[in-house]
Amino acid sequence: MTQQRPSMHIGVIVTLALRNIRRNLRRTILTATALIIGGALLIFTLLLSDGTHEQWIDSGVRTGSGHVTIERPEFRLSRKIEDRLPASASPAVMAALESADVSEHVTAVFARLTVNGLASSPAGARPAQILGIDPVSEAAVSPLDDQVVDGRYLQSDDRLAAYVGGGLADRLDLRLGSRLVLTAQDAKKDIAGQLVRVVGIFRSGLPELDQSVIHIPLVTASEWLGAGHDVTNIGVIVDDSIVVPSLVRHLQQALADPIARGEATVMGWREAMPALRDAVLIDEWGAYLMFGILFVIIGFGIVNTVLMSVLNRHREFGVLQALGLTPRQTGAVVLVEGLTLTAVGGVVGVGLGLVFTWFLMSDGLDMSQLSSTMDNLQFGGVAIDPVVYPVFRTARVIQSVGYILLIGGVASLYPAFRATTIDVAESMKFER
Amino acid sequence: MKPIFIALVAVLTVNGVTGAQELSPREIMDRVDRVLRGSSSHGMATMQVTTENWERQMTMEIWSLGTEYSLVRLRAPQKEAGTATLMADKDIWNYLPKVDRTIKMPASMMGGAWMGSHFTNDDLVKESQLVEDYNIEIAYEGDRDGVTVWEFLLTPLPEAAVVWGHLEYQVRQQDYMPLWARYYDEDGELSRTMTFSEFIDLGGRLVPAVMDLQPADKPHERTTMRYETLEFDIDLERSFFSLQTLQRQR
Amino acid sequence: MSEKPWFRIGWRNLGRHRKRTMLTALGLAVGYFAAVFTIGYSEGLMAEMVENATGLVSGQIEIHDAEYRPERSLYDTIGGRDGVNVTRLLDGVSTDPGVVAVAPRVYAGGLISSGESTSAGMLMGIDPERELTVSRFLDELVDGRVPEQGRNELVIGVEMARQLAVGVGDDVIIVAPGADGSMGNDLYAVSGIFRTGMPELDASNAVLPLADLQTLLTLDPSRIHEIAVTIQNPWIANDTAERLAAILNPDDLDLEVAPWTELNPIIVEFVALINAFYGIVFVIVFGVAIFGVANTMLMSTYERRREIAVMLAMGATPGSVVKTVLYEAGAMGILALALGIGISLPLMLWWNIAPIDLSRLYGDLTVQGALLRPVLRVELNLAYWIWGGVALVATALLAALYPAARAARIPPADALSGL
Repeated sequence: MTQQRPSMHIGVIVTLALRNIRRNLRRTILTATALIIGGALLIFTLLLSDGTHEQWIDSGVRTGSGHVTIERPEFRLSRKIEDRLPASASPAVMAALESADVSEHVTAVFARLTVNGLASSPAGARPAQILGIDPVSEAAVSPLDDQVVDGRYLQSDDRLAAYVGGGLADRLDLRLGSRLVLTAQDAKKDIAGQLVRVVGIFRSGLPELDQSVIHIPLVTASEWLGAGHDVTNIGVIVDDSIVVPSLVRHLQQALADPIARGEATVMGWREAMPALRDAVLIDEWGAYLMFGILFVIIGFGIVNTVLMSVLNRHREFGVLQALGLTPRQTGAVVLVEGLTLTAVGGVVGVGLGLVFTWFLMSDGLDMSQLSSTMDNLQFGGVAIDPVVYPVFRTARVIQSVGYILLIGGVASLYPAFRATTIDVAESMKFER
Repeated sequence: MKPIFIALVAVLTVNGVTGAQELSPREIMDRVDRVLRGSSSHGMATMQVTTENWERQMTMEIWSLGTEYSLVRLRAPQKEAGTATLMADKDIWNYLPKVDRTIKMPASMMGGAWMGSHFTNDDLVKESQLVEDYNIEIAYEGDRDGVTVWEFLLTPLPEAAVVWGHLEYQVRQQDYMPLWARYYDEDGELSRTMTFSEFIDLGGRLVPAVMDLQPADKPHERTTMRYETLEFDIDLERSFFSLQTLQRQR
Repeated sequence: MSEKPWFRIGWRNLGRHRKRTMLTALGLAVGYFAAVFTIGYSEGLMAEMVENATGLVSGQIEIHDAEYRPERSLYDTIGGRDGVNVTRLLDGVSTDPGVVAVAPRVYAGGLISSGESTSAGMLMGIDPERELTVSRFLDELVDGRVPEQGRNELVIGVEMARQLAVGVGDDVIIVAPGADGSMGNDLYAVSGIFRTGMPELDASNAVLPLADLQTLLTLDPSRIHEIAVTIQNPWIANDTAERLAAILNPDDLDLEVAPWTELNPIIVEFVALINAFYGIVFVIVFGVAIFGVANTMLMSTYERRREIAVMLAMGATPGSVVKTVLYEAGAMGILALALGIGISLPLMLWWNIAPIDLSRLYGDLTVQGALLRPVLRVELNLAYWIWGGVALVATALLAALYPAARAARIPPADALSGL
């Protein structure tokens, strides 16, 4: 036989593959439907789950110390004013955040003066976590300002105002306007007291917050603790947690000097809140597991279908091979057939899934319909918002389609192999 | 407790010899404040604490220098003899003889009761800032139960770091002896009452030997402190108020 | 006519295309395994949470004086200031058939100090022998051993050990206000270090023999704060608690008998939430499996259209054709089930007995304050296996309905004439 040009072979292979698909439409449709549903389900769940995680992370970092947090290494455990950031840190961070490649993702920045101290009233005294904050930027960041049950959150012209948790207010018998004396170690290592008055009381549902957190204006805290313009920690909120690693690197460069002197450290939320990181990981893992299994099932379905078609067309393949198609090319036909099937099914499925998810994106999915538990659920130490919004990531779409193609490809391998072992003569012997 | 006592003792130091003088409330307190720096004392006292669950009696030896340094050592009951508390520069350490160790009181424990009484560690540590923290005026001058007294009203200055809404003092005019002090929260509710009695001569001065503190919300509870001996202006250096002294069993 | 021919025809068809049958059956079997595994894993998760919320440290039922919660005052011991005959009370609780073990406890707040470091903490007095039967946090100490009574020993959590920079054999001082107002203090040797995985406990609890703690606090031996109870399984807690309350209260004691469902109600709801997901899992897994079976059955009936035509020509009713197809599908379902069980049983048994430890990848996690260890734990719940099997066969039958209907409508003459 004469050697034919390779490109014609490929053309032939693809044509054969496509024609076969069209021929057995019912079978094709059935398999494709499975793929479409699987694909749609996959992308929908992935995007929704990403959205859920994003929300957990967002809640967690807003209550905690930001997607990225900059503080002195010792500060995390000591929470003492003496472990505050060097004066050079704040401007350096602000400047770094303004640079073009990161600034578009930065939603908010906050700087705080946080210390552990004592809160006293005539009714007694309790240990407290005291945060000196800027009311405007904090309101943009923290969920606490929305959880007010009495009074109001701090405002930028407040001075001796305090925003306290309901648990603490109960124990110290505080009401709006009550006197509260805060005591802590100041920058000179003396124990200093500060008067504040309660302007608002919040209840977050998390006892760790309600029983010990107090917000006061940053200016008041600075005066009280003799810290000048220094802060103890700076936090950054971003719009998508995917940018965190690059932001961390960027900030580490900007703060290279203080970091080298051991005066500052830049941490992503995964480092700062390991419980949250684990919660997200476990949930992701659980989802992957289920989908792995799901696609094994679909994979079997595809193997089934393609193999059946191979076994049913052994006569046709026999004829083709008699006409010059090599066994390998025959196998290639089958492979292409399988891949095309999965590609079309997968892409349509993912596409449909994307559309469906997009419809959902505007309103979000209210999980509290499922159970009243979701209203004040706590997972990994973070309160969970029952309304879930999916988040779009191109990476996920590519991942989904790729995964489906992989399954289809792998599933088609065995049938393709079977196609190569057809005995030409035998296959043409008998009437179907 | 102690600062108020010292403050009023110092009042006597200034005025006891010369007799009553016409001084404004603020001037009285001001003078007190100046005198406080440098006055020292040493004495023995007993303290009785009654709570709804138990009753206890303790005997202790007290040294103090100004308002920033003090050392208290328990002499009785036997089980706890030798336990001591050192207050220096706003830190508090406790020495425990049974285990022969010293513990520094962390800031979060400052709200806790001192020696199980109704006084708090914070009460001990707080510098006498009556002048700086409060606006002092005479609310009443005249006769109460046959005794001529002043009743002072102390209202905290707008930014003073004190928890009380206001304080009231009743002081005997003839010899400047305090009779009682009442602590109110901002709603005007009485939170606790300190009563002074048994005015006798100790260490060459007239002092209220007994101080009684009663919380308003638990009327069956009280802490009563009685000075048995007291001497003033003794030879005490700051160096005395050290961890080494604390740990010595003497 | 009897059923047998239709069943045999269906069954024989399976054998005709063994590979295809096996493939489809295998696909279904994997689906079955998936469902069983997912549910087993979720059940494992729930069981883990419930057990840790109730058996790690706190008991499945806790008995206190009625005044004790929520302030947890030192003075609100069971029986008030007079205390109780502790042994008799413990025995009284043990007589209930649901009760497996009981242990007494004493609690107090205090300071724990070593060298320069002092931390405020919660002191827990336990009966070392009884405690091991009720809670699990002392079973596997990170280091050292359980403290012995009368030797001034205690165990602390890993976090506290780190903060105080102490290890096994080091001394710590405990200072705690006593019941008589005195400042109880004493020196203790750290005999062991525990790890519950819950940061609050690991950082602030010190555990020592009950009698020793009572001595420190000048508390009479008849005064305890809590009796922790372990029962046969966590889900009978409510009933058992009711029975105990009825037995114990008339005894002139004002007691609160609290099952864990009362102490930690959110865990209960969380469990219900997870249960809600099971249905979804089933639907997804078997929904997808339907396509596999439908596909196969369609192909099978198409290939055999001549045979079916012959059947019809010979007088078989369309209904019997349907039956053969359904029998074939049913048989496939059962085969798949057998395969499914064959895959699932060994794997699930293996993971049930020797769960896979993921702690290299993840740390511990708390949900609603209950601990989840990173261990792949699965529970075996027969009910779900049976339901899964039923769903499997039902899926197969359902998937075969359309192909069966089509097969029954095959025009015999046309089919036989070679079209």
